[in-house]
Amino acid sequence: MALVEIRNLTKSFRKGDEVITPLDDVDLDIEQGDFVSLMGPSGTGKSTLLNLVAGIDRPDSGTITVAGTEVTRLSRGRLADWRAAHIGYIFQTHNLIPVLTAYENVELPTLLLPMSGAERRKRVEVALEAVSLTDRADHYPRQLSGGQEQRVGIARSIVANPTVVVADEPTGSLDAETSEQIQVLLGRLNRELNMTMLMVTHDEQVAAIAGRQLRLDRGRVIDANSSSNGQKQRLLAERG
Amino acid sequence: MFRFAPYVFKCLWRHRARTLLTVSGSAVALFVFCFVGSVQDGLERLTENEDAQRTLIVFQENRFCPTSSRLPEDYAGRIQKLSGVKDVMPVQVWTNNCRASLDVIVFNGAAAQKLQTARDLKLTAGNWAGFESRRDAALVGRNVAQRRSLSVGDQFSIGELSVKVVGIFQSPVPAEENLIYTNLQFLQYTQGLDSAGVVTQHEVHLTDDADPDAVARAIDEALRAGPVATTTRRKGAFQASTLADLVDLIGFAHWLGYACVGLVLSLVATTTVMAVQDRIREHAVLQTLGLRPARIFRLVIAESLLMCLVGGSIGTGLALAVLGWSGMSVGAEGATIAFRPSLELGVAGMLVSLVVGALAGVVPAWQAARAQIVAALRQG
Repeated sequence: MALVEIRNLTKSFRKGDEVITPLDDVDLDIEQGDFVSLMGPSGTGKSTLLNLVAGIDRPDSGTITVAGTEVTRLSRGRLADWRAAHIGYIFQTHNLIPVLTAYENVELPTLLLPMSGAERRKRVEVALEAVSLTDRADHYPRQLSGGQEQRVGIARSIVANPTVVVADEPTGSLDAETSEQIQVLLGRLNRELNMTMLMVTHDEQVAAIAGRQLRLDRGRVIDANSSSNGQKQRLLAERG
Repeated sequence: MFRFAPYVFKCLWRHRARTLLTVSGSAVALFVFCFVGSVQDGLERLTENEDAQRTLIVFQENRFCPTSSRLPEDYAGRIQKLSGVKDVMPVQVWTNNCRASLDVIVFNGAAAQKLQTARDLKLTAGNWAGFESRRDAALVGRNVAQRRSLSVGDQFSIGELSVKVVGIFQSPVPAEENLIYTNLQFLQYTQGLDSAGVVTQHEVHLTDDADPDAVARAIDEALRAGPVATTTRRKGAFQASTLADLVDLIGFAHWLGYACVGLVLSLVATTTVMAVQDRIREHAVLQTLGLRPARIFRLVIAESLLMCLVGGSIGTGLALAVLGWSGMSVGAEGATIAFRPSLELGVAGMLVSLVVGALAGVVPAWQAARAQIVAALRQG
């Protein structure tokens, strides 16, 4: 059984009199440790699929099962608990809480889980170390660069050791150099921590970092895997 | 919940000017609420305490101001003989102002021995011996002493009256603390020789089994044939009637107190709504991280409660301090209402802050908790 199983997933929106169906009877399996990128032009439903997997949106029909839990059947409150324990979310625009320091932002998800203060501190320190921001722990988001903010966002997404990390255009608001640093970081987290990742991007170069590349086309998921394993290894080697 | 306390504090601090204005607005409103409440309490204490219900006041018929009521002092002997009467104390009243005033000075002239038995006065300075030995001696109520900065040994003059302060007293009836007691004869003679043997009113104390209204009727009946007709009422009813104009005003002020509560409610609710609208996206991020809608609801309520409680504590504390320190009172026609701080007033102020804080946060908290995450994340 796959870690994430999506079956017959359909989601429609109403835009005026028109009904748009970005996801139409979608099936998808993601295995433990997979790094999946989801590509496609704007408005094809990439983020919608990501949000459904993350449990922050509801499908019209179909099921999503993550690590044996059928997410689509959970109530709003239980879904929140489930997200706290199983989902790490990396936003395109970082979305750090401006009044909290980097340390406090990373600490937030752990406040929702049963653990001691010492355990919490240790996890936050490890997460900040993983993104090389230990020395910026006391800085507020306004005191950080865009790349540093995104690294804090990544630390926040992994601190609770989630089942799946979802990333919505994680490099979308960054310059080329910083974008490349973030790509390397995400690849490293996937390899070293064996984290399952689902990333939405419209940038093929960014998508190439993932082991499995999918494309959304007219409401259906197509396995694009255009980049061969050799190409991917070369890219990874080039980016350190 | 307390794990998120730093977040709540920091959110309030983020817009500190707005928070400070809301807190100060709540403080001012609760200050007024407590102040108005103390006036209301003062009136209730004056008209509804046991002494006010079991004591009768005999006044000249159809007269209201103490300066116009002139009863023969020897009426006391005739009243004393009636059934149900335990004791009678003739009282001469002098006031510097018959109209409503915030600084009314009221002298009550009474025999020293009667005063000691009829009143539960506790001297905080000076002694009774001084009062009995000096003709112009005066016992000054704590509030008057505070207001006029009087202490034992001072000479106090107002109008044609000049007295020597020989004691400061406190009383379980706060309105008593707005009075100055002198010897009866001193007060009578100060107003001219024609006032000898004349008093303003007789205060009648009843036996335990007496029916106050029946005794009042009996007194008026017995004195109907005398040189001056009388109207006898319970002390509470007499004071309420004397302060009738003020009672209406205080009733209106009572609504002013409620208006202040409404003001705090709208003020805190507006600030909380603004805070929530500023943070629609932030709350969506928190929900994405795993905060339950109920927790978002509580966080918003906590912000609203904190603003209201801090403002309420400051306003209530200030009001109690000012009431305690100033010794303020309002009086008319010789009767006074004392504005005193009390534990009940403090508790009422804090309870109002708590309830208003919670109520003010309900709508914005509901909005924040019910927001659709994806739609909210797209905002801003």
